[in-house]
Amino acid sequence: MIKLKDLSFSYLKPDGSPVTETPQLNRINLEIHEGEFVLVCGPTGSGKSTLLKALNGLAPSFTGGLLSGEIHFDGQNLTGSQPYEYSHLVGYVNQQPEGYFVADTVIDEIVYGSEQLGLPAAQIQSRLDEIVDSLEIRDLLDRPLATLSGGQQQRVAIAAALVAGQKVLLLDEPTSALDLAGATEVLNILSNLAHKKGITVLLAEHRISRVIAEVDSVLVVHGDGSVTKGKPESQFNDPRFAPPIIELGIQLGWNPLRISTEDAGKRWRESEHSTLDRKIQEPSSAIVEIKDLTVRFAETSAVSDVSLSIFGNQVTAIMGENGSGKTSLCWAIQGLGTRNSGSVILANTDTAKLAKDSRLDLIAMIPQRAADLLFLHTLAEELEESDKYAGVEQGTTASLFQKLAGRIDTAIHPRDLSAGQQLALVLSIQLAKDAKVLILDEPTRGLDYSAKRALAKQLKMLRAADRAIILASHDIEFVAELADRVVLLEAGKIMRDSAPTELLGFGSPLASQLAQISRTPGLISIEQVLS
Amino acid sequence: MLFVLAFREQAPWAKSIRFYVQLALAVIFIRVLFRVIFNLESTPLYPVLVLPEINIDVGFGSTLHLLGSMSSLSLQSAFTDGLRLASIILAIGMANSLANPRKLLKSTPGALYEIATAISIAINLAPQLISSLNRVRKARELRGQSKGMRALPGIVIPVLEDTIDQSMALAASMSARGFGRQGSRTRANQVLVRTLGLSGITALTVGVFLLLISPATQILDLALVVLGVILTFLYIHLSSGRSLRTRYRKEPWRFGDFLVLTITAAILYASFSGVLSL
Repeated sequence: MIKLKDLSFSYLKPDGSPVTETPQLNRINLEIHEGEFVLVCGPTGSGKSTLLKALNGLAPSFTGGLLSGEIHFDGQNLTGSQPYEYSHLVGYVNQQPEGYFVADTVIDEIVYGSEQLGLPAAQIQSRLDEIVDSLEIRDLLDRPLATLSGGQQQRVAIAAALVAGQKVLLLDEPTSALDLAGATEVLNILSNLAHKKGITVLLAEHRISRVIAEVDSVLVVHGDGSVTKGKPESQFNDPRFAPPIIELGIQLGWNPLRISTEDAGKRWRESEHSTLDRKIQEPSSAIVEIKDLTVRFAETSAVSDVSLSIFGNQVTAIMGENGSGKTSLCWAIQGLGTRNSGSVILANTDTAKLAKDSRLDLIAMIPQRAADLLFLHTLAEELEESDKYAGVEQGTTASLFQKLAGRIDTAIHPRDLSAGQQLALVLSIQLAKDAKVLILDEPTRGLDYSAKRALAKQLKMLRAADRAIILASHDIEFVAELADRVVLLEAGKIMRDSAPTELLGFGSPLASQLAQISRTPGLISIEQVLS
Repeated sequence: MLFVLAFREQAPWAKSIRFYVQLALAVIFIRVLFRVIFNLESTPLYPVLVLPEINIDVGFGSTLHLLGSMSSLSLQSAFTDGLRLASIILAIGMANSLANPRKLLKSTPGALYEIATAISIAINLAPQLISSLNRVRKARELRGQSKGMRALPGIVIPVLEDTIDQSMALAASMSARGFGRQGSRTRANQVLVRTLGLSGITALTVGVFLLLISPATQILDLALVVLGVILTFLYIHLSSGRSLRTRYRKEPWRFGDFLVLTITAAILYASFSGVLSL
């Protein structure tokens, strides 16, 4: 179906010379069969997106850069074509569908592509019927796009990408903005499309633990220009992006590695395991006191009557579906966000009444779109400005950043960093001030496993220094490793407030992968397993 | 006006009418206020507003009169002046809040499709700009900045980058879904069609301009207008004829749409007959 011959791609500087010595993709040869479900993975910033974009002409048309080699689809050589010349063959779905929608309503959005291709109305109708049924979105057809949930929006985006009869579907991290239910919804659809409808699916994902058992092959973009393809079992020797299930297998010396929860569960029960109790840090004093907090937007209340004490020396995770009020709660605690009633007391003062500077000294927050905090032209300038503002020794922010993201050329423009690198930068900037309270809103979005491990390590160190850490997240594995307490929000109300071993343990709908594999109460994080 | 309020949709662009009304009212108020302050009338016969007069000697032997008594006639003329500008502003505002930019895009003939797309993206960018401005401003407050750092670039740069990113993303998405396909049309054909379109519009504009400025109607002016109309129609026909795109469903005409057209026609008729009778 897809054949790449000696495909190379490099980004260019304004003077026309390549940005890096080795091209981002270097002489790639590979073949993908019809109906193959391929998972594309690799460390943050390795070039997964670039590879997908090269496959439908978006790179270099929309990204700039230099492409060489050949791309064949179904025997046709399409090298160097514009994206619209691929549009009848390849559908493309992105991370955040809302920015990519062309129409207002679901039906208009879905048919847009086939209208552009000039299909007759009768044919559009039959294709529409087919795709709408296989993606189960018939009852959404007349809804405005803005009223859909994230998972529904992504299903519409997939329908729109395939409505003209495209045989190949490229997806660039389609679930990274979705909660567990939304992600599961989208991933189920994808395996259905590949295995029942014969669509060739290329899926770039960081959340691999839940798809890895479904895919036919795994394509690893290593970041040094090379790309390898093979069976899922053989592709994860690089711990930078190995999901917990592979990590567990490596740790326990399983051969072959198990990739599905069921297989791993069987293997787990074959032998005895020594495990540790999940360590919960003892809370020190209550640092933030939230009382009867209510946040309303127009008619709907995002947070209603929340009372909560946040303790030092602990990571308090706030979980809940998209739209359950996590973000509103974070902003209200920080003090800048809307608040209709209630109080948030920190150091004897309401955070909403704190002076701007003292608020920043006391609370550091990383919002969902971390890149909004970056505004200088080079990485070096950002790091320097951060040291200057925080009044710390020069190089403090830089060394924090290096711990999180590795060594990176500081002449680079912050916008050219990958999502994970940008987050690492903002995190280091916010951590430089050494605030008592740290609020993170969905920090693991778009991060690979090694970046998550680095983040977890950093947060553990801060916790040990008696900081109060508030972590809003729907990343179950991350919370399972790190949290000392999990607060579950539903429609703005606190539904559960419990130890992570209960909420993420075996039998709970939010059970972590290890809990599902081991079926042992209290066992949720791989760190608990002794080899 | 009431009609616009009744028929606008619940959408971001529709809410802009409030801003336009406020602007129009402000324009009238400022116009009248200026007339009261910079009063040009020398003591009127029947003053309705009596204010103390201030005379300021500005040198060169002339004095500046401020305030003073006003006649109702003078106030009325200031009010009408303001009203004129206000009604233009309102008209634009009403058009803006009734038209859904995305539907507009779908209803344009094929020939104007590219232009319409550009316009609709530009219109869509405005609310996006505001929402990203709010977001970035909030985010900036999370970081703070060292002294000596100018605040403006910290907000402007992320907002601009955001807006450009968003429009590039939209363009990429449209392109990936087939926007911009030329189909079987040859290069020569494209050039011919574009030349036709350009010359048609030029002839039409120049013709109408000549027709309006010359007191008596000239044959040449009229011929130019007719030529312009023919060329433009030819252009639209040629470029829409070999349709590259299809439309899955056409926008139905609703009662409100007819009402808008009827009222517009009535107003046009009234103003033209008014002009002709003068």
